[in-house]
Amino acid sequence: MSNEIKADKTLDLKGLPCPMPVVKISKGIKEVEVGQVVEAVTTDPGSLTDFPAWARTNGHEIIDTVQGDKEITFYIKRIV
Amino acid sequence: MEENLREKLLKAFEGKLTKTIAMYLETCSRCGICTTSCHVFNSMPRPEYSPAARAEVVRRLYKKYFKLQGKFWPSLGEAKPLDDTALDDLDRAAYSCTGCRRCMTFCPFGIDTQQIMSIAKLILVAAHAEPEILSMLADVSISKGESIDLIKQGFIDGLERLEGEVVEKWKIDAEKIPIPTEVQEADILYVALAGAHSIIPSAAIFNAACENWTLSFFEAVNFGAFVGDPGKTRLIMDRIINEANRLNVKEVCICECGTAFRVLKQMSGKQSFKISSITEVHARYIREKRIKLEKNRFKGIITYHDPCQIARNAGIMDEPRYIIKHLTDNFTDLSKKPEENWCCGGGGGLVAMGQDSHDFRMKSSKVKADQVKATHASILVTACENCHSQLSDLNKYYKMGVEVKFLSSMVADSLI
Amino acid sequence: MDTLNYIILVPMVYFSFAVFVAGVLYRIAAILKKPSITIPLNVYPQKKPAWLHALADTFLMPAVFKAKPVMWFFLIVFHASIFLLIIGHIELIHSFSIFQIIEHDIFLGRGFVGLTLFISLLYFLFRRFSSNARNLSVPEDYFLLILLLLTIILGSELDWARTWFGYQEMTVDGYQTYLKSMLLFKPDISDVTYSGHTFMLVFHVFFANLFILFFPFSKMMHAIFTIPLNKIRRG
Repeated sequence: MSNEIKADKTLDLKGLPCPMPVVKISKGIKEVEVGQVVEAVTTDPGSLTDFPAWARTNGHEIIDTVQGDKEITFYIKRIV
Repeated sequence: MEENLREKLLKAFEGKLTKTIAMYLETCSRCGICTTSCHVFNSMPRPEYSPAARAEVVRRLYKKYFKLQGKFWPSLGEAKPLDDTALDDLDRAAYSCTGCRRCMTFCPFGIDTQQIMSIAKLILVAAHAEPEILSMLADVSISKGESIDLIKQGFIDGLERLEGEVVEKWKIDAEKIPIPTEVQEADILYVALAGAHSIIPSAAIFNAACENWTLSFFEAVNFGAFVGDPGKTRLIMDRIINEANRLNVKEVCICECGTAFRVLKQMSGKQSFKISSITEVHARYIREKRIKLEKNRFKGIITYHDPCQIARNAGIMDEPRYIIKHLTDNFTDLSKKPEENWCCGGGGGLVAMGQDSHDFRMKSSKVKADQVKATHASILVTACENCHSQLSDLNKYYKMGVEVKFLSSMVADSLI
Repeated sequence: MDTLNYIILVPMVYFSFAVFVAGVLYRIAAILKKPSITIPLNVYPQKKPAWLHALADTFLMPAVFKAKPVMWFFLIVFHASIFLLIIGHIELIHSFSIFQIIEHDIFLGRGFVGLTLFISLLYFLFRRFSSNARNLSVPEDYFLLILLLLTIILGSELDWARTWFGYQEMTVDGYQTYLKSMLLFKPDISDVTYSGHTFMLVFHVFFANLFILFFPFSKMMHAIFTIPLNKIRRG
């Protein structure tokens, strides 16, 4: 499914210290238009709970989460 | 400012007026001994960066609304009304203070500037004028606590990807799980941060010590405390307390995060489990010979930065030095007394504010950089994520030429 | 003139003392009524016994000694002199033998208590004009220092006149008569209002009245709160 998602912006959040992944995604999402998609790549298992919680509190939608060997890729659609 | 907003803010202020805080506000003689104890002032000598000047921003409001003197003769103590200018002043005071409490050790009265700044932060929260990013982070943490059942499977899957790296550091029997979760009656519930770097080394050390441990679903850090919102602080803390009670663990071990440790240790009240920092646990493993370390695996001079919330404010000073003694023969201290160590300059939520606070964080921490340079160390080790991030930034900015490392990762890399 | 002398030496003294005592008690009660904080606010390393270290912090101020030795010297001299001064004034009410363990003339200190106080006050005042302290200072700080300075210079001159210059009027007996009569609520100011130095006494008492009137509503409350706060810091 992920192959079909076209990201409008990609954020590299690999290996960042706490709480930078969430800080950077919340800044990054504001840099795309409503309806556009941000692709965020992390290595942190904590982002698997942080990002859904962040999306929920801020009203965005995680349209797909792809867990690779080392990396986790989130596709997040800006809703508001 | 509208009258009903002012009333709401003053109510928030009044809610903070405990016996101790009221005495802090009554007592300052403005002697100014604290001024040179502040790393911000020492790096950028401006009058507003004296701890007493920061406190005076809050004290002026206190005089105006809670003290006879300010009601009858406001100009005498420069009592000021709570208006939009006052909010700006409160913001400048509260977010130029890292809450390190170094000034408190120099004050003849023992006044705690961090507590006074917590009033400033609470007023800003009540006025919705706090740094947005900190509130957002606190809300995310709380939301995680509410929706954990929905998202924990994803987390467990994510942990599997780390198992290889954990086993690489310390081999365990094939049938054992390298990163256990949901272990009832575990001896230790380990509360980490989101990053893999906060999980992998600690997991390897727990396994090496044959610990009966389990990993928490939550991150340790408490953004509610950074932003100074007592309600949110409590909710974020309760997620961990509830998890510990549900699993009926004996001990909750907090990762290398100063705020997380101090908040849980000192604010959680009496609990059925013990609360320890990971540094204490590692020192205990060495003392009890449950782990063995290869000495001098790391070359060059090693120095240790005492995180304020763990050392001066929570008493963990001997343990890290005990661990480092087992890692190197080449240790040098940053300051004569650990309690007088300079703050890294990133506390109180400043690091979490990221790029927004970068310029201030760098300029206000020149004394820290000078202190590190004076040791000629090649490795600067610390036991707090927040300090680590700030020290890494300082390392680049001031070309300190050190390698900034976590104590736990050095222990994990030296396991034999 | 006599009326003014009387107002300052009698009703104003009663009024100031009443406000002082009631004000201090009220402020303490107001603090005690507030809720307690539940989190520990001590710093580490902890030293036992904490109360002894808290007392040492309060009276010896080791942190100030380390940071600003000159200021520490004047702070110690100043506060020790204040202590002696209080004893000196108690002796102006009545000669208690307990204070005569070390034999001395009343007023104790041969005039030097006032002198050291005066010099340390000058130091405190002038340091307020140096940049770091000036930026922190509010009018209250100058007001209190000037009030104390005026009180002490006038009080000391009364003392110096007798001790150093052999001035024979306004004797210890005279003060004892006045203060004892005040204590018994039968005010008699005749022994202290006949002399050419009376105006000094009247001004001395006037400024002292203002000082204690203002005490409960000012930073002077540090005199009460320093011990509990130091105990909190020590745990």
